[in-house]
Amino acid sequence: MKFLVNPSKFNEMADYLFRPLLILSIILFAIGLLFSFYLSPDDYQQGSTVRIMYVHVPSAWLALLTYAIMTIYSILALAFRIPFGFIFNTAVAPIGAVFTLICIISGSLWGKPMWGTWWVWDARLTSVAILFIIYLIIIFMNLSFENRIVREKVVAIFILIGSVNLPIVKFSVDWWNTLHQPATISKLSKPSIDPSMMTPLIIMTFAFIMIGVAIAILRIKTEIISRKSYLS
Amino acid sequence: MNFLNKIIFFYYREYKLNMSGIQDILTNIIFFFISIFIFIFSIGPDKETISLIGVGILWTLLLLSSTLSLRKFYQDDFENGNLLIIHLNGFSFGFISILKTFSHFLFVQVPFLLSIPIACILLNIANDKLFYLFASFSIGSLILSCLGSISSSMNLMNQRNFLLGSVIVMIFSVPVIIFSVGIINMEESFNSLINILFGILLIVFAINPWASGLCLKLSLENS
Amino acid sequence: MLIVKDLSIERLDKKIFENINLSLSPGNITILKGKNGSGKTTLLKAILNLLEPSFGSIYWKGKLLKKNLYDFYNHVTYIGDTTSSLRKLTIKDNINIWKKFFISNINDAQIEIALKTLKLDNYLNKKVGTLSFGETKKLEFLRLIMENKKVWILDEPLSNLDEDSIGLMKQTFEDHCSKEGSIIFSSHQNPGIYVTEEINL
Repeated sequence: MKFLVNPSKFNEMADYLFRPLLILSIILFAIGLLFSFYLSPDDYQQGSTVRIMYVHVPSAWLALLTYAIMTIYSILALAFRIPFGFIFNTAVAPIGAVFTLICIISGSLWGKPMWGTWWVWDARLTSVAILFIIYLIIIFMNLSFENRIVREKVVAIFILIGSVNLPIVKFSVDWWNTLHQPATISKLSKPSIDPSMMTPLIIMTFAFIMIGVAIAILRIKTEIISRKSYLS
Repeated sequence: MNFLNKIIFFYYREYKLNMSGIQDILTNIIFFFISIFIFIFSIGPDKETISLIGVGILWTLLLLSSTLSLRKFYQDDFENGNLLIIHLNGFSFGFISILKTFSHFLFVQVPFLLSIPIACILLNIANDKLFYLFASFSIGSLILSCLGSISSSMNLMNQRNFLLGSVIVMIFSVPVIIFSVGIINMEESFNSLINILFGILLIVFAINPWASGLCLKLSLENS
Repeated sequence: MLIVKDLSIERLDKKIFENINLSLSPGNITILKGKNGSGKTTLLKAILNLLEPSFGSIYWKGKLLKKNLYDFYNHVTYIGDTTSSLRKLTIKDNINIWKKFFISNINDAQIEIALKTLKLDNYLNKKVGTLSFGETKKLEFLRLIMENKKVWILDEPLSNLDEDSIGLMKQTFEDHCSKEGSIIFSSHQNPGIYVTEEINL
């Protein structure tokens, strides 16, 4: 597991992993899209629009997951002085932002036929919008500091403080009585979703994870190269 | 005893500094009132509408105008090296940030607190709501001061884009706005909401010395 | 008292200096000489424990500086390259604030004498922002007398000063040394101040 904290080990591992990941993600995307467009049934209420779910839900999960991993890496970097955490944060923030943006756009496309508006001021939607703004602030901070040492530590502190938003996003549907439906899949109870819809959802989630990891590997590698002289 | 004296004279110094630049504080307040005027001009002088949304406007403008002076929070002391001198006199960076937060509360937020009654008259807010407004703003403004301390210490080395500091404060002040406007509009749940606000204050107050102290140290290291 | 052992500092990707050894005992004056950007200020910052050294260690009174930090701070006056006097206030206010903040037992007559020797006594009610750069620099040295500490750490104290003031500084340094004090200062050249140790960066 050392490749998760050590840049040179990570480079070695990335060389092995990148191509299989890319191929796997393409295959998974093909299967997943096939499933979600042709092999899954329409919802009896929502009709065909339910297929937006296969993009919306995985991207929302990944937006949260990316931020959670960034938080863990910030703690590692600040507390245990592992510079790989800073590299990871700089590299991965835009990926999280894109996932959040996909989540917001697909959600609003889904909302128009179902709720009648593009946007409602609902706790889930607002907190995801705030998550997106936090991602943007992280990216802008990365761009606007001149001194790198200050920049990466300040960004890590900001990520830690911003992580208070994560539980709010996750539990907003349980805490407040909102328009957004509560989570359909959770670990503790039996999922309230039909297996025929579950299959494409899970395949799409893995496809999203694979493509996310592949892009992250590329970005982390460039970030490592850009500061190579500092590390060696 | 020495330490206590130093704290007292730290505030004496802050008082002198702020009194010599009292026009800055007054400009903040003028900004606050001008924006109230502009709000009223833009939505029309209808009394019903104004009293309906008055509290929300008041809180939004208070937040915006208190973030205006954020740039000065640490910048002056950082640039002329006073921060370092104060640190060398036995104050840790975390403690400096606590002292500075209270100083910001005293010299920037309290003038707003005093000008709330006048704003209430202008915005047609009922007199019996004044107490709730005072209670929520005195806690909320301390939260804003703590957030301001964190964000301005983060952006000390950021010469290009200081507006980011205000954005950081505003994004974390969303819960403050929600609960403090909630206090005024739902008076029956005053106790529970003020407790939530108090809880937020304690959380922010605990984070503040750690985050700002770390950022101050970082900026001094690399300046 | 203060011992710096094999100190090296790296910032970002470049080494700033390597293997600096320095020891400061009462009555010593140490000068740090070097070109611009050779790391004089960085070394002073490392001594003040603002910077984490990459290698090496600093000791104060036999203990690691980190473990003994606030005791060290109780004995040190630092004058940086910035003017720490508050520009919006008058000289008098500045002196009052510092005097109270440092809890110094210096009396008004002594300050008056010091001001007179620095030739600042006419400007007592002027704002610091209106003074010239050299005059603010001289005002800075008043802190040395007010804080009344053992170790002086001065960053470029002699730049921007005229001949008379440099002579005055020389005298002050010698006085301080005879009172068992010690001084570290950085400068790109030495205008004839007696030093016990010279470090070239």
